[in-house]
Amino acid sequence: MVSPASPLPSTTEPKAPPQWLQPLLMLAPAGVWLALLLVLPTLLIFQLSLVPGIRPGQVVNPSGLDNYWRIVQPDYFPVLTRSLFFSIGTTIACLVLGFPIAYWIALKVPKRWQNLVLLAFVLPLWTSSLLRTYAWITILRPTGVLNSILGKVGMPPLDLLNREPAVLIGMTYSLLPYMVLILYAALEKLDRRLLEAAADLGANPAQTFWRVTVPQSLTGIAAGSLLVFITSMGDFVNPEILGGASSMTVARLIYNQFLGATQNWGFGSALSMVLILVVSIAIALLLKYGDRSAAGGV
Amino acid sequence: MNSTSNRPLSWPWLSLIAIGLFGFMYFPILVLAFYSFNDSKYSTGWKGFTWKWYVAFLNDSRILTALANSLIVAFFAVGIAAVVGTLMAVGLARYRFPGKQVYQGTAYLPLIIPDIAIAVATLVFLAAIAIPVSGGLIQLSLGTVISAHVVFCLSYVAIVVSTRINDLNPHLEEAALDLGATPTQAFMQVLLPELMPAIVSGCLLAFVLSLDDFLIASFTAGGGSSTLPMEIFSRIRTGVKPDINALSVVLILSTGFLFAIAEYLRYRSERKRFS
Amino acid sequence: MPSLTRRQLLHTATAIAAGMVLPGCGWTLGEVRPALSKGNKDELSLFTWESYIDPLLTETFHTQTGINVTADIYDSNETMLATFQSGKGAIYSVIYPSDYKVAEMIDKKLLKPLDHSRINGMENLMPEFQNSVYDPANRHSVPISWGTTGFIYNTAALNPGPEDWEDLWRLQAQLNRKMTLLADVREVMGATLKSLGHSYNATDPTEIRQAYQKLVQLKPAVTTFTTDAWRDRLLAGDLILSMAYSADAVRLIQENPDAKLRYVIPASGTSLWSDTMVIPVTAPNPDAAYEWINFMMQPSVAVGVTSRLFFATPNQAAFDQLPAPLRNNGSLFPPESVIQACERIIPLDPKVMELYDQYWTKLTSG
Repeated sequence: MVSPASPLPSTTEPKAPPQWLQPLLMLAPAGVWLALLLVLPTLLIFQLSLVPGIRPGQVVNPSGLDNYWRIVQPDYFPVLTRSLFFSIGTTIACLVLGFPIAYWIALKVPKRWQNLVLLAFVLPLWTSSLLRTYAWITILRPTGVLNSILGKVGMPPLDLLNREPAVLIGMTYSLLPYMVLILYAALEKLDRRLLEAAADLGANPAQTFWRVTVPQSLTGIAAGSLLVFITSMGDFVNPEILGGASSMTVARLIYNQFLGATQNWGFGSALSMVLILVVSIAIALLLKYGDRSAAGGV
Repeated sequence: MNSTSNRPLSWPWLSLIAIGLFGFMYFPILVLAFYSFNDSKYSTGWKGFTWKWYVAFLNDSRILTALANSLIVAFFAVGIAAVVGTLMAVGLARYRFPGKQVYQGTAYLPLIIPDIAIAVATLVFLAAIAIPVSGGLIQLSLGTVISAHVVFCLSYVAIVVSTRINDLNPHLEEAALDLGATPTQAFMQVLLPELMPAIVSGCLLAFVLSLDDFLIASFTAGGGSSTLPMEIFSRIRTGVKPDINALSVVLILSTGFLFAIAEYLRYRSERKRFS
Repeated sequence: MPSLTRRQLLHTATAIAAGMVLPGCGWTLGEVRPALSKGNKDELSLFTWESYIDPLLTETFHTQTGINVTADIYDSNETMLATFQSGKGAIYSVIYPSDYKVAEMIDKKLLKPLDHSRINGMENLMPEFQNSVYDPANRHSVPISWGTTGFIYNTAALNPGPEDWEDLWRLQAQLNRKMTLLADVREVMGATLKSLGHSYNATDPTEIRQAYQKLVQLKPAVTTFTTDAWRDRLLAGDLILSMAYSADAVRLIQENPDAKLRYVIPASGTSLWSDTMVIPVTAPNPDAAYEWINFMMQPSVAVGVTSRLFFATPNQAAFDQLPAPLRNNGSLFPPESVIQACERIIPLDPKVMELYDQYWTKLTSG
């Protein structure tokens, strides 16, 4: 593989040095930075992922796919599926919750207020994500805010913290604003005349929604879902803080191999490579799907 | 609201959902604020009003140092990324060269690769190459956090700037060149002012992301140079006192305030442009 | 032609990059290296446990010596070593590993031999700490505290309470999702091994597997594995029982006399640990490290930390000055009969340790 370490621009016809000096000056700094701190490190963890059980102070001796083999063993496979479950669950939750609010802002709020309402909705994004996650501990813990409210209205307490529901809530809360931003961008471009035409032609609201609104905003839905999926797949903070003894995810497992209890840089690197692979597959699917919807949709 | 007769989803129902979701977004923040004034370390109930957590937080040198570290990192990382990222975006828009696809793909990779993978890769690179090759001159420190943050800040600045470049009139710079400006002059005096709003909003975005980053910082920071998210995380892990609540209220108010100013400035500059 | 040169350049660059990335076999990953720039004489960085440091301590040290102290926190010996070895450790001049980790760090040549002529009051240490098994003649480490591992529980919610490790399994239904275990491989695995009648340091693969299987049964009842985050949740009533170190448990009990909490040293025995102060080979400021060690060795300081932070001092001179209630606190200074049943965690063969790690990762991943 050719790394773009020095992106040397080629001028089509030979010219005086300044002609290629300028592009070089523009592209080389970023190129070098990316090559050193992104491309090279990624190649490096790929190499390390081929070394079983490596930890600092040991000699690197690539010897095969043992680490990858280990990931698909029944011991660790649940981690991968749990991560996928969290990501897919979060994506669905964000879509279900995000669509109505994006729709409401794009189509029901008066035009001049739209930006302000949207900003107000995503404003919590501009505060520390760790603190927002921490707030959910206060809410969800057994003697926390939620259960004292439930107690007041005479409902049984819920045991949510340190379990899957808390992680899902935390992830959905963190990522919903992104989904809404993307969906809004798609819905705002929606051709209202199509909605009116559909109604005039006798479609009921449900038909209009499924036959006109959804197909029209499909690109937004796909882009938003992809973003939420990718981000939640690599999310460490929510599962770590809101999860418990049984909510190990890929990101947490990777963290533990490097800075946690079990030092195993090779296994951690292999897990990182798998994470990158899963994310790449998601993107590839979107690109394929996106093309088709662009070709056949409108 | 001219087409109320053709509503695919009816008004009150949708508004209710919308209000509920606004509540969902703001509830945790209100909870944090509420408990920052509660005179009890552990209780869920209200035990009286107090300012003591704010006093405690303002006297906590660890938090203040971490806050200063975070601001230093964000400031330098965004500063470097602003220059390098803008140059890259302009360069990519202007020139064709073999391997451009690869370059471009790599440039926007940090937007999609999960943070944990970037963090791990950077740590391995630092531990396996940078530190040994430099003979210990490079050590994990704020400097390494800054260089790691530049990578993703760069991508965010570049993507915002390149969107703006696509909207620009391509003949503007050519006109300047035809009128006798040197390429540098054309860049500095014609292109750069046009790109400024995009650069500023790209930087703002990168700044917030850098301030908020936990994973990459915790893998690349040296001992004794914790950033604010690292300090908060360590406190959540070891058990928190409500002074963290006080900190979050202060942070929320100040970022909200900064954001409002930024939005106002953007709004004013846009109005100027279009009027 | 420029294009040719460029191509050559590109090739060279790729070759260099590839050469750096793929040296094939044989390079050593991430050795800890000392920082080239020596640390500021007035700065001292510690790497320590959450409960071993407080502002009063660092301020007193500052007024005595003029040295500023900053501390980073870890929650298990394994995390400490991982963090230290990942390259983040070059700033620390004093670290607080536990006994078995000291031995491992000596083995890995990470510790500086101590110059005993620069340390005052080594003779004040209790006889059993003068010559430790993990570090003969205390050549690399100075013991700073000792204690046991047990559990702390809410007597209002659980009566009668557990008295031994086995009771965790017996009371599993009552404790369901209301207990936490330490985030520490050796402690959790060791306790389970003990409940099975094996050694805390079992090396037999069958015994280790049995312990793992027993833990799997308990796991649904465990809220989370944590070393520190149980305190406020125990007080708030979210938890009933937490596996904890005696120092942390006693401190919580002393600081909250109203809460009905009790610390139990499991009857069949538990781990007896001592934490030490060591100077890593990479220490940027060894002089300040010696100052710190001497400061902590002062009987008055040791009395102060024992009665404020509640970690049992191995310093005989300090122990004699302690107020009687503290000296007679059985959780902090257990009687000889209790200590007899306990074991020290000892370093294990890397192969066995790998087995522990594998089961631990399996346990926390499942």
